Amino acid sequence: MQNTPPRSRIEIDRLRKIFLAEGREVVAVDDASFRINDGEFVALLGPSGCGKSTILNMVATLISPNGGDIRVDDVPVIPGRPIAQVGYVFQKDTLFPWRTVEGNIGYALELAGVPAGERKTRVAEAIHQAGLNGFDRFYPASLSGGMRQRVSLMRTLIARPEILLMDEPFGALDTHTKLDMHSVLLSLWERERQTVLFVTHDLGEALTLADRIILMSARPGRVKAGFKVDFPRPRDAVKLRETAQYAELFSKVWHSLGEEFAKGRSA
Amino acid sequence: MKRAMTLFWQIAIGLGALAIWEWGWSLHDKVPWLVPDILDPYFVSKPSEIYKQFLRMGCLVSSQGDWTLGTPGAFEKCIGRSENNLWIATYFTLKNTLWGFATGVSSGFVLGLLLGRSDRLSEIFYPYITAFNSIPRIALAPIIILAFGIGDASKIVTAWLVVVFLVFFNTFEGARAVDRDHINAARLLGAGEWQVTRTVIVPSTMAWLFASLTPAVSFSLIGVIVGEFIGAEHGIGRMIIEAEARGEAAGMMVAVFVLMIVGVILAAGVRRIQAYLLRWRPASTMAT
Repeated sequence: MQNTPPRSRIEIDRLRKIFLAEGREVVAVDDASFRINDGEFVALLGPSGCGKSTILNMVATLISPNGGDIRVDDVPVIPGRPIAQVGYVFQKDTLFPWRTVEGNIGYALELAGVPAGERKTRVAEAIHQAGLNGFDRFYPASLSGGMRQRVSLMRTLIARPEILLMDEPFGALDTHTKLDMHSVLLSLWERERQTVLFVTHDLGEALTLADRIILMSARPGRVKAGFKVDFPRPRDAVKLRETAQYAELFSKVWHSLGEEFAKGRSA
Repeated sequence: MKRAMTLFWQIAIGLGALAIWEWGWSLHDKVPWLVPDILDPYFVSKPSEIYKQFLRMGCLVSSQGDWTLGTPGAFEKCIGRSENNLWIATYFTLKNTLWGFATGVSSGFVLGLLLGRSDRLSEIFYPYITAFNSIPRIALAPIIILAFGIGDASKIVTAWLVVVFLVFFNTFEGARAVDRDHINAARLLGAGEWQVTRTVIVPSTMAWLFASLTPAVSFSLIGVIVGEFIGAEHGIGRMIIEAEARGEAAGMMVAVFVLMIVGVILAAGVRRIQAYLLRWRPASTMAT
């Protein structure tokens, strides 16, 4: 037994998606191909409107592609049939407002029929991990944006998904809260080392979190380049930004990304 | 200070209106242009008369004019003498109102949910619902009395009919307005069709249902009273009709006054339940 190639969890091959906007066909994703290995944290980076969220939503079975293949664990993805081992974190706040923090986090366990006793311990553990102690009985309406996103994250993570799809989950947060969330996410990820596909337009965020960055071009969305992010782990979300390697890689990707932002503006 | 002023004006207006009601008519002969005919006690009675009549009808004062609560057995004797005194009438009206409310709300909710979540069904039933909704529900009351008799059933059916549409339309709107992302989130967390219905569609539609509860309880009371007007053995509506037949304005006013109290209590009760069930809503939208 020597050097078996890493197991691939998500494979995307020549993926295409066309939207109809005001009677015109708009190519959102054009011929996108990439693969993500087991335990890899991959950031899908690109300007807004480049189709990165569209790709994620196709993997999540929320929308159907117009061409190409998606395979998760070697099984073709069927639109509308969520995959058991995949968890999804939305950009928008989709917490159930009529459920408390506890109720939201325990939701997936309730669906799965996990007995109340075990559910209680797991929910309590999740609340603790996310630093939400004391907020168990709060309704989402009385939480801050950062806290709501923590609850969202735990609501997905409690089911222990092996693959995690995240659609700009921290996009709506202020800079400070965002850094806070990066620390939370990194520490949670260090325990389980899930396979993550993380969509973002924030280069700093991609560098802080990911092992690899897949850079998308402006619309029509294509895979433009890949960058390895080999900062040592575990990472400190705040201190990492002060290092020389970070600055070096930042400017390298920034240049490439800047071209796409410019294209996005002129389009 | 502002609160005190508000309270002052509220009391002043109330006392002023009562004073005009009580003594206004005595000025009629001197200044007929100032006092409208509607103030004639023959039509509207007088607060003092209404109060006396209330004590008599409520069996708080016997026919001899003594307080019944002081003499043991007097209250029971007075109650036993009539089949439709104020207490029995209130009991029947209240009971039928609550039944009409409960059946109307539950069936309206189920129907609204069903049609709201199925484009096919709502398309098929659309013309019938529109047609039925254009009928003033109260117009059907005589038919219902004819079909269900003069007992409780006809009152409950009338109330149900008034409530069910109101609740149905609210639930229908609510079922259509369920956030797509909440459904997606539930699906991605492993919910099957039935689980999505139970854990997302029903609770988020509930918020719309609750908004219709306060009008629903008032509507139910209207349905019951109209039913009682047309034909009933008991109830406040029948009391009003009987008093009218005898030309007793004070008796009608007592019944109306009791209805007002019943209405206020029912609405307050529903509002409390509503506030509890919607406690998860942000405070700013609590007003609805």
